[in-house]
Amino acid sequence: MKLLRSFGLWVAALVVVFGVALLASANQSSAASRAAHLESLVKCPSCEDLSVAQSNATTAVAVRHEIVADVAAGKSDNQILTSIENAYGTSILLSPPTSGLGVLLWIVPLGVVLALIVVGLRLRRRWR
Amino acid sequence: MKRRTVLVTSLVVLAVVVAFSVFLGTRQPVTDATDITSPLLGQPAPNFSGTELDGAHWSLRNDLGHVVVVNFWASWCGPCVVEAPNLSTFAWQERHANVDVIGVVFNDTLSAAQGFAAHYGSLYPSILDPGGAIANRYGVVSPPTTFVINAKGRVVVTLVGPVRLSQLNAVLGRVRQ
Amino acid sequence: MTLTWLGRSFLYVAFAGALGGVAFQLRALRTKRPSFAIPFAVLALLGIAGAVGVMQYALITHDFALAYVAENNATFTPLLYSITGMWSALEGSLLLWSLLLAAITLGVLFYYRREKTDAVVGWAAVVLFGVGAFFSALMMFPADPFLHNPAHVLQGQGPNALLQDNPLVAAHPPLLYLGFVGFTVPFAFAIAMLITGRVHERWPLEQRRWTVLAWGALSVGIILGAWWSYQVLGWGGFWGWDPVENAALLPWLTATAYIHSVIVQDRRGLFRVWNLSLAISTFALTVLGTFFTRSGVLESVHSFSSSTLGPLLIGLFFFTVALGVGLLAWRGDALRSAVGVDQPFSREGLFVANNILFVGFAVVVLLGTVFPLLYEAVNGTQVTVGTPYFATIAAPLSVALLALMALAPLVSWRSASREVLWNRIRLVAWASLAVVALLATLGVRHLAVLVAVFFAAAAAGSALRTLWGVLVAARRRGRLLGALRAPTTGGMVVHLGIVVLAIGIVVSTSYTQRSEVTLASGQSTVVDSQFVTFKGFHVVKDPLETATQLAVEVDGHSLFPAVTTFNGRATTVGTPAIDSNLLRDVYVTFDAVGGNGTTSGAQVQNNLPAGSVVLGVTVEPLLAWLWIGGLMVGLGAGVSFLRRRHVEEPT
Repeated sequence: MKLLRSFGLWVAALVVVFGVALLASANQSSAASRAAHLESLVKCPSCEDLSVAQSNATTAVAVRHEIVADVAAGKSDNQILTSIENAYGTSILLSPPTSGLGVLLWIVPLGVVLALIVVGLRLRRRWR
Repeated sequence: MKRRTVLVTSLVVLAVVVAFSVFLGTRQPVTDATDITSPLLGQPAPNFSGTELDGAHWSLRNDLGHVVVVNFWASWCGPCVVEAPNLSTFAWQERHANVDVIGVVFNDTLSAAQGFAAHYGSLYPSILDPGGAIANRYGVVSPPTTFVINAKGRVVVTLVGPVRLSQLNAVLGRVRQ
Repeated sequence: MTLTWLGRSFLYVAFAGALGGVAFQLRALRTKRPSFAIPFAVLALLGIAGAVGVMQYALITHDFALAYVAENNATFTPLLYSITGMWSALEGSLLLWSLLLAAITLGVLFYYRREKTDAVVGWAAVVLFGVGAFFSALMMFPADPFLHNPAHVLQGQGPNALLQDNPLVAAHPPLLYLGFVGFTVPFAFAIAMLITGRVHERWPLEQRRWTVLAWGALSVGIILGAWWSYQVLGWGGFWGWDPVENAALLPWLTATAYIHSVIVQDRRGLFRVWNLSLAISTFALTVLGTFFTRSGVLESVHSFSSSTLGPLLIGLFFFTVALGVGLLAWRGDALRSAVGVDQPFSREGLFVANNILFVGFAVVVLLGTVFPLLYEAVNGTQVTVGTPYFATIAAPLSVALLALMALAPLVSWRSASREVLWNRIRLVAWASLAVVALLATLGVRHLAVLVAVFFAAAAAGSALRTLWGVLVAARRRGRLLGALRAPTTGGMVVHLGIVVLAIGIVVSTSYTQRSEVTLASGQSTVVDSQFVTFKGFHVVKDPLETATQLAVEVDGHSLFPAVTTFNGRATTVGTPAIDSNLLRDVYVTFDAVGGNGTTSGAQVQNNLPAGSVVLGVTVEPLLAWLWIGGLMVGLGAGVSFLRRRHVEEPT
């Protein structure tokens, strides 16, 4: 069918373009980007909503130095975040815990996706 | 939609909204430290003096006419860590406004206290309290406890727990009236 | 004392007008006697206008007999900031809200003056008057703007430092409130239609152009808020997923779903339950947002707070939702339409997906905003839900919405054929792919950016294709200007604005580079290929403020980042300086100064030579596109307002 061939050609091109882009972007995690990523997850202790990556307050700079030093010392992401959490308390991490009540924060978005699928299927069934 | 489905859905939604509204309606506005009624309120602040962490001498009497915020802290105290940047910011913010912040080290060693102050970038002086005499006079049970003394030398506010900057500002507003 | 008396009297008049409006309208609905709705609306408006006049007079003449003026104004406050001081804090902001509500109530009643005996208009008036009475009552009791100041002060505090830093304070709150208050009207009519059972009538469709105007005001208001934050807060960002920011976003999400969903009701009579629910939800979320902003239960840079207002506002929220749910349940049967969505692969089907995505987005943002409260109640410890969470959710949702924007204008109503769609979209699909391929070869490697650009380009392509079709049809008819008033023109312009906004957001957040440079006077350096020179200090002292400015040159343009102390409140804030062009923004802040410099407030660093400064330099590519996109969205909403009156199509 002409439709299938025309569309199929485009899909193939899509796969090629994004495939190449995906492969090229795979070698990204240097120490600097690791530190930057961690810095975006820790709240600046004396600010309202900012991460230590975004703020230049003294407390933020202090935490940034600590993260860079820990990354250079070879600690894992989890270890670094846990040590900061132990020093400042649970509210210092910008990302809520994924266990316990935090599960709710991921279940609800999945629920939205589920709702989309379910409604789509029900409309389809009604059509048939 | 069937009548029953509509009814059930409505009741479920209503129940969720009731719970949600009651929950939000019963939340207290954010306060991290609790404003407590200590026996010192309204009384003249007990005088004290001491040696600062870098060796200088400090005395409450030298601060007449200023508002003094006295913060009892310790290097081993978790909430003290949370409030340290707030106190520093407050101290810096008010340094030309006749407001002094003085820390008193509660039940701690010199080296540990010096380490804490250096690590958390303390922008106000802290004095040692050998034997806990000052803490005793002020009735401090556990750190962090903050006392605010007005310009006339009376204790006007006692806060137990980690203070937030907005709290300090609000308290300062009350003290100045 | 007289100003307090006068102001309060005007508020009583406003309250009497609103309450009288409710009472007489209810009587009219029951007994068919005249309701005097318009006279009462005029009375309410006069009352509020009088109260606003008293407050403005007090602010402009710096009369500190009012506590509110003493807290938000000083003798040296410039005129602009005296006027905007009315909405700088809680009580005054309620004055602005009530003024807009009273004006809009009168506007609606005047618009429908020939249908004034119609029960739907009657009940809508009851709702509008009721809400007006509620806000007036708030100002009469817990949030009194005219509180007398017992102390005889000669000088006030002046507004909050960040609220007298930038003229956008004159635009953001009024536009935002215009949007929120504007959406009270669809809410009022939704309730009215449900109470009277006349749910099949065209009221929301007739009001579409006004609803779109309110939406436009809300959208532009939010974007101006982001621009304002960007210019004054000093971190180079424009959105922090702060509870108060989220509070404004939530009603915007359901409002956007509403203005789209109404299109389907107009065209095919479907989605009645959706539209009534969305109208009610938008108002309910507005009230909830007001609650978050004013109750102080969530920490925010933006909140004003008072603990007594919280329970009252949450009470209104609950009442609104309960009323809406109850009425929808009661009228459930009558709402069923004779026809349904024929098949998921149709424009109606895509609009269903649109509704679900927007509402889902709102639910998730609401959950993330209240989650810290929930967690603390259950576990006793505090957690933060910040940008990482919201960004993870917003990204795929936004991409899905862009995909819908790409498809929907080209998908047929009722039942779309795959062949026809592919024929229409083929060029757009290939063009989007070409754009991505080009970017990838030019070195763009961030997968997220490529995906976003792909869908954004597709959405833009569909919008342009649609506009092209409209233009061609108008030219054929010989009336080119007719293209402006065609049904889809405004909407497509808005979509293009959203695309520009989306690209600005994705590129600036992915490629922002932050650095700190230390420079002595006269020294230059290169930061991310921007040439930065520090030229020296500059002290500005005027009655309003004392600022230490740094003369900085970036790529040949002069900037003056500063640290400013506002007299009155004695607070010191950093004042960033921005060099902006279409390609990138350079955001410069005065972070620290060396030695014991006589500077007002910048952090003094003892390990820097005196006279050197530390500059924060943040380079953000394509950031200006956000504001351009915002402008386009506003323009598109305006064009949509001018839309030709729709001729009713047989369903």
